[in-house]
Amino acid sequence: MRKILYCLLLGLCVAGCSESPEEQPDNADSTGAADVTAEVEAFYAANPDFFSFKSPADLPTGLVWENNDHLPEIGSPEAVKGGTQNAALQDFPRTLRTVGPDSNGGFRTFLLDDTTMTMAHVHPDTRDLYPGLAESWAIDEESRTVYVKLDPAARFSDGEAITADDFLFMFWFYRSPYIMAPWYNNFYSTTYSNITRYDDHTLSITTRELKPDLDERVLLLRPIPQHFYTDMGEDFAERYQWRFEPTPGAYVVRPEDVRKGRSIALTRNKDWWAKDKKYWRYRFNPDRIQFTVIRDDAKTFEAFKRGDIDQFGLGLAEYWYEKLPDSDPDVQAGYIHKVMYYNQRPRPNFGLWINTAQPLLNNQDIRLGINYATNWSLVIEKFFRGDNTRMNTSHEGFGEFTHPTITARAFDIDKAQAHFAAAGFNTRGADGILVNAEGQRLAFTLSTGYESLRDVLTILREEAAKAGLELRIEVLDSTVGWKKVQEKQHDIFFTAFGVFLELYPRFWEHYHSDNAYDKAFLEDGSVNPERKLKTQTNNLESFAIAEMDALIERYRRSSDQDEMVRLAHQMTELHHAHASFVPGFYQGFFRIGHWRWLRYPEGFSQKHAAGPGDAFVHWIDTDMKTETEAARREGKAFDPVITVYDQWAE
Amino acid sequence: MLNLTPQTRKKLRRFRQIKRGYYSFLILAGLSALLACGELLINSRALVVSYQGELYFPTYGDFHPGTDFGLDYQYETNYRELQTRFAAADEGDWLLLPLVPYNPYENNAAGGVFRPLPPSAEAQHYLGTDTTSRDILARLFYGTRIALLFALGFTLSVYLIGIAIGCAMGYFGGIFDLALQRVIEIWSNVPFLYMVIIIFSVIPSTVAVPTRISILLLVMVLFSWTGMTYYMRTETYKEKARDYVAAARIIGASNTRIIFRHIMPNVLSTLITFMPFTVVAAISAITALDFLGFGLPVPTPSLGELLKQGTANLRTAPWIVISAFGTLVALLTLVTFIGEAIRESFDPKTFSVYR
Repeated sequence: MRKILYCLLLGLCVAGCSESPEEQPDNADSTGAADVTAEVEAFYAANPDFFSFKSPADLPTGLVWENNDHLPEIGSPEAVKGGTQNAALQDFPRTLRTVGPDSNGGFRTFLLDDTTMTMAHVHPDTRDLYPGLAESWAIDEESRTVYVKLDPAARFSDGEAITADDFLFMFWFYRSPYIMAPWYNNFYSTTYSNITRYDDHTLSITTRELKPDLDERVLLLRPIPQHFYTDMGEDFAERYQWRFEPTPGAYVVRPEDVRKGRSIALTRNKDWWAKDKKYWRYRFNPDRIQFTVIRDDAKTFEAFKRGDIDQFGLGLAEYWYEKLPDSDPDVQAGYIHKVMYYNQRPRPNFGLWINTAQPLLNNQDIRLGINYATNWSLVIEKFFRGDNTRMNTSHEGFGEFTHPTITARAFDIDKAQAHFAAAGFNTRGADGILVNAEGQRLAFTLSTGYESLRDVLTILREEAAKAGLELRIEVLDSTVGWKKVQEKQHDIFFTAFGVFLELYPRFWEHYHSDNAYDKAFLEDGSVNPERKLKTQTNNLESFAIAEMDALIERYRRSSDQDEMVRLAHQMTELHHAHASFVPGFYQGFFRIGHWRWLRYPEGFSQKHAAGPGDAFVHWIDTDMKTETEAARREGKAFDPVITVYDQWAE
Repeated sequence: MLNLTPQTRKKLRRFRQIKRGYYSFLILAGLSALLACGELLINSRALVVSYQGELYFPTYGDFHPGTDFGLDYQYETNYRELQTRFAAADEGDWLLLPLVPYNPYENNAAGGVFRPLPPSAEAQHYLGTDTTSRDILARLFYGTRIALLFALGFTLSVYLIGIAIGCAMGYFGGIFDLALQRVIEIWSNVPFLYMVIIIFSVIPSTVAVPTRISILLLVMVLFSWTGMTYYMRTETYKEKARDYVAAARIIGASNTRIIFRHIMPNVLSTLITFMPFTVVAAISAITALDFLGFGLPVPTPSLGELLKQGTANLRTAPWIVISAFGTLVALLTLVTFIGEAIRESFDPKTFSVYR
């Protein structure tokens, strides 16, 4: 039913998009929202252990304040501010909120992840923390507390000062039921145990457990502007659907730039408070980043080749080798530069997520059979041309946290058949697909939201048929596909989660029974026969094993890195044995093509970056753009630039 | 032998005289015959296998696992490999492959990686391969077959519903006509494309491919029969007032008999005239839906899907779009020529009034 509604919405959106984004009620009390100031105060008062109010005199003595001002600069002093960067979006963002329903879309990167400022940030080259909103910080491991002095100059984009209050409010906000985001509700109520306000610009935050990455846990928090979220209520999602939250970062979305369904733009805040700060001054250079919705990859590429779009990701072999080969006239003439960067970071977990709540798929033999019947090595070798690497577990690139010995099950028709036979599928039907004694066919739907990777699935399908397994392929629009898995309606889904640059992998989100069922187990530990699937969580495998729950809880409580490594390995082994995930592939690099006027710092290759735009160090050289356009008209060529930065190759 | 009235015979003769339409008809008929026995021409299964003195005909019927021919796997035999194997072993076994020894689904990476390969007679990919190294000729061939079958089913269903309801409206008239007209007006204002998209998004993908195609057909028919009723209704109105209908009624003929035996033959020219254009509309619609990704389920071969691939690889693999577009143009042109010829030969007014 929701799908129908969604399609209707999509249809409406495509057919007749309203031009003015300012339709949201600003003052509607009739809709049930009210000024929440009193509610927030009451919440603080009701949780005195969590929210403390002290004076600067109460600060412990002997704290060692640090601010890591010795790290290398990010970006290049050559960078010039100005110009417009043109980019494409495949889907128009479903909302401008960064939390709540539909907020976890691709555009969030530009609203929040890559553009906002937190108290400190992870340096893309060294992995050390460098200051953002914090002027300095002090860590007290014994009390699991991080003390922070905020930069008094820090301002939101609407000019309001950023104070400790915005961090207190952040905890209320993320724990509020209004935002309809269970992950946030849970994370912010279980990870932290206290926030103390000493004065406007001094605060401390304590975590519940001592974790090896205590500093990052606290310093990567961001303030939520209390003055913006004054009217909160049940209608939060609709009320803030198209309102841009004031940001401490450099880019804002202006209401007049939101053309629903068509385009959206980021505009550089010229009075950005951090514009002259070390680590920040050479970044966020283009005055405007214009995103146009182009639904079709092929069209986006043509737009790029015309020069309407400044940069294009050439991750797929098809683009790197065929559509923009080194011999391409634009590359040879030096108009378009091709660059490949190797990197080292946690890898997105591309693979097949098997919904173990579905009939047949709840049988481990069937799942093992599916594991053996998927020919990833063929996909990697022939479709990706050997550029990609097979994932072995669902957590690759986490250093010692990644299991050292487990390898993914290789394509093996005999083993697959043996497992299918064990599950009762031992005779082949007229078309070669296995059937069981009741005449049921061994067929599952393999869905994906990745239009560009549909070929991967057709290859897997052909190979799986050899083992007697039929995979029915369903290629969905990315948001429709996401909707489908969030409602746990899939059989097998091909997708990947973006992974943050974190020290250790997360298990709770994907493997805890809390995220699979409303009440997975009864008091005595047995399976609850009446349990219902929990929707809107990232446990796509409906993975619920009591043993795993216990391990996850120990892992979340543990403060000892060695123990955590051990637990991570144990959980990975359990997950591997459960066979509910078929590890796919990862790309140990990223590669792009960009017009020469989009410039990157000399020799730029960040070890831990996920993409070239992560840190916004690029700039638009408008003179060079004019020069290039003239050169194209006159047929003048420059030196071709094809670079491979392999210093971080694994 | 068909017992044709002199009038019909005259019409057919006239049709044969219109060379463009007549030849188009012959070509299309020949093509349909080829498509009907397509498995014998384009298929990865061998036509005949002679193994250890026994003859096998794998084209139709159940699949033969590799073990049937002394191979060590239980999945469908790869007959191309088997052929080379037989040749190498030289034990008197032989097999005969179809002209194009590929099926429309298999990824045959001749170059080692999956990518579009240009047409090559040597590799027997006469129109090249698509982005995942599937034979384009095979995909086009079976795609066309599905499109034509689809169009046929569509036309028949639309005609059946359209004629029945249209005639009834015209014949009975009055309140019945008035009410049904309003219903049709409302019904025909439901946006067809959105309905297809919505209905298709709720059909669970566990439904088998042929069923999904039938559902798509059903949805399209449901939203397309209305146009036909208008023509039938007016024609029937006109015929109903004629003397022969009154005469038939006086003799005591039933309504059904009057409609189907007396009125129908007289409005046939209208019906037949529209038929080819309905076929064209059906082919275009299914292709467009496929192009948009709402048509036949992946990986069913289809013209629309090939067109989409072709437009996505315009620079690097022009042969994809050329083949798909060429086929579509040829098909639609043939049907349109036939349609024009039929209209000219079956519609007496064209001669009496305009010539």
